[in-house]
Amino acid sequence: MSFLVLENMLKYFGKVTAVDHISISINKGEFLTLLGPSGCGKTTILRMVAGFEQPDGGRILLDGEDITQSPARKRPMGMVFQSYALFPHMTAEQNIAFGMSMKRLPPAHIQKRCRELLELVDLAEHGRRYPHQLSGGQQQRIALARALAVEPKVLLLDEPLSALDARVRVSLRNEIRRIQLQLAMTAIYVTHDQEEALAVSDRIAVMARGKVEQIDQPEEIYRNPRTAFAATFVGTSNQFKGTLESAHEGLCRVEDHLFHIPPQHTLSDNAAVLVAVRPEEIAVHSLDEASSDPLNGHDNHLEGIIELRTFLGPFTRFHIQLGEQKKITADVPSRLAHGYLVGQQVQLSFPSEACQVLSLDTTSVVADPILEAETI
Amino acid sequence: MATPALSGAPPRRRISLGIDTLFLLLTMVYLLVPLGATLVFGLSGNSLFGTYQQILSDKDFYRTLLTSFELAVAATLLSLLLVTPTAYWVQIRLPRLRLLLEILSLIPFAVPAIILSLGLLEVYGSPNLLTAILSFGLVPLLSGPPFVIANTPPLLACAYVIISLPFVYRPIDNSLRALNAVVLTEAAQSLGAGWWSIFLRVILPNIWPGMISAALLTFSTAMGEFTLASLFGIYTFPNFLGQVGQSDPREAASLSVFSFGLTLICVLAIILLVRRQAGGANRDRDIELATVK
Repeated sequence: MSFLVLENMLKYFGKVTAVDHISISINKGEFLTLLGPSGCGKTTILRMVAGFEQPDGGRILLDGEDITQSPARKRPMGMVFQSYALFPHMTAEQNIAFGMSMKRLPPAHIQKRCRELLELVDLAEHGRRYPHQLSGGQQQRIALARALAVEPKVLLLDEPLSALDARVRVSLRNEIRRIQLQLAMTAIYVTHDQEEALAVSDRIAVMARGKVEQIDQPEEIYRNPRTAFAATFVGTSNQFKGTLESAHEGLCRVEDHLFHIPPQHTLSDNAAVLVAVRPEEIAVHSLDEASSDPLNGHDNHLEGIIELRTFLGPFTRFHIQLGEQKKITADVPSRLAHGYLVGQQVQLSFPSEACQVLSLDTTSVVADPILEAETI
Repeated sequence: MATPALSGAPPRRRISLGIDTLFLLLTMVYLLVPLGATLVFGLSGNSLFGTYQQILSDKDFYRTLLTSFELAVAATLLSLLLVTPTAYWVQIRLPRLRLLLEILSLIPFAVPAIILSLGLLEVYGSPNLLTAILSFGLVPLLSGPPFVIANTPPLLACAYVIISLPFVYRPIDNSLRALNAVVLTEAAQSLGAGWWSIFLRVILPNIWPGMISAALLTFSTAMGEFTLASLFGIYTFPNFLGQVGQSDPREAASLSVFSFGLTLICVLAIILLVRRQAGGANRDRDIELATVK
C-alpha cells in the first residue's frame, strides 16, 4: 500500500490551472522528484502537501489518514526551503532545537538530538554560529537538520540547491541522498534541474502545464520517454519533427530525409511525430571514412558542417549545421574526436534504435530544443 | 592617497581637504548654535543654578512633565501593539491590502491637528447612529459612562497614535519585508509552531530595530505635541512651556533646553536598549565567514 497518496489534486490561481487533476502514489522510504520548468505546478503540489496551499479539489492521504484539511503545523512533515529560511536571531543549534521545543520535549533530549543531527550533517563544530556566519551550503545543511529534528514522516525539499554554486550543489545533493537513504525517509524533492533529478531520485515525475507527463525511474524516463515533453526536457536531445510514412516498417519523413526508426505499433501512418535522438547516440565520420564504409552499421545518415567544437573532458560536443536551418549536437568520446575541425564537412550516423518517437498531437508540449547544459 | 611615480620622481601625496569633516562641523554648528543661543538667553539675568532652581521648584513642571511622559509611553505602546501584528498579518495573509494600509498610514500627514482634535471631540462628545455603526458600537460605549472618553488623556493618547501612524507603520513594514516574514512563518509552521509562537519567538526578535525606530519617533512626537493637547484642554509639558513663555521668556528658553535634553536622554536610552537586544545576532558579525565546504 502506498505511504503518501495524492488523489486527483486540483489547484487554480485565478483563471490559471496550476495543478490539473494529478494523482501520485509514493511508497515509504521512496525519493520522488517533481521535475519540470517554472510554472509547471511542482512547487504548488509540494506546498499543498505541506499545508501552505489549500487544494481546490482532491485529497492527500498519509499512511491511510486524510490530511487534506489539516493545518501545516499539525502535519508530520519537515520542509527544506530554497532560501534556507533559517531564523536569523538563533544559532544553528537553536534553529535545530526550535521544532523540538514546540513539541515541549525535555531539554536534555533536545540537546542530545541537536548534537546527533549536527554530526549527521557534518557540522558538529558549528552549532553556536549564527546563520550569517555560515556559508550557503552550511546553512542548507542546518536547514536539513532542522527539518529532520521533528522526526517527520515525509521530508519536503523545495529546490534546496538552487541558491548554491555548482560545486556545492553536487556535493550537497549527494549528502541529501545519503542522509535520506540512511534514515529511510520518504522524500519529495522539487527541482527544475534534470541532472539533479536523475542523480538522486528513485522515481521522477516529469511535469508540464500542471500535468504529469511521465512518472518513472530515471533511467526509464531517459531511455524510453513516453511523451514529447519528457523526451525533450530530460537530458539533451536533438529534435526532428516529421511524419510517419510507414509505422509498421519504421520509416519517418523528416523534411528531405527518410529516417529509419523502430516500428511503431501504437501510431498510424501519416501521424505527426517528434523524433528525438540523444547526442551520445550520434557518430561523427569524416567524408573519407564515410565513402569507404557507407553504412557504418547504422541506418540513418546525415551530412553537415561542424560549426562549433566544445571539449567537455571525457566527451567532445560538436554543433553541426545541417542545411540552412537545422543544427544538431553530437557528443563523441574525446579519444575519437581528434581530427574533426570547425568548418569541416562530416557525415553523421545513428541507429534506428536510438530514435525516440513521440506523437505530436495538438496538445503535446515540447521543451525548448537542445537545453545547452554543457555538462556531462 | 599616493599617486604613481612619473619618470623616477617620488610619489606625491594628494592633500585631503577634509570636505566631509567640514560639512559635519557646519551641520553641527547649524543645529547647536540656536540651542546654545537659547540657553544663553535663558540664563541671562540669572545664574545657571538660580534659573534651574526656579524651574524645578515649580509644581506644574513635574506635573506636566509626568503627564507628557505618561501620554508618550501610552501612545508608543498602543502604536506598537496596534500596528505590529496588523502589518505582520497583512504581509502574511492579505498582501493585496498592503497598498491600502500604506495609504491609510499616510493620511494623518494630510489632516491638520486642529481638524483631528475637533473631529475626535465631535465623534466622542456627540455620538450618533452612523458612528455607532461604523465603529461596531465602540464609540457609544466609550462616550458614555463609565468611560466618558471625550477630552480625556486616554483619547489624547489615541490621537497621538493617529498622528504617529506614518512614523510607525513604515519602519515596521520595512523590517518585515527585509526579514522575508512569509518564508520564515512557513518554516516555523512546518516545525509545528502556532501563530503566537511564530509572532513572539520568530518575528518580533527580528523586527525589533524597526519597532524601536517606530517607538522613538512616536515618543518624541508625543512629548513635543502642543496643538492637540491644548484643544483637548489637557495640561501637558509643551502647554506648560507655552504658558511660561508668555510670562517669562527667559525661563521658557531654559525650559526648552531642558526639555530637549530630557528627550535626548530618553532617545539615547532606547537606542542603547536596541543595541543590547540586537547584540545576540550581531555580536560576531566581524568574524570572518566560514569557508565554503
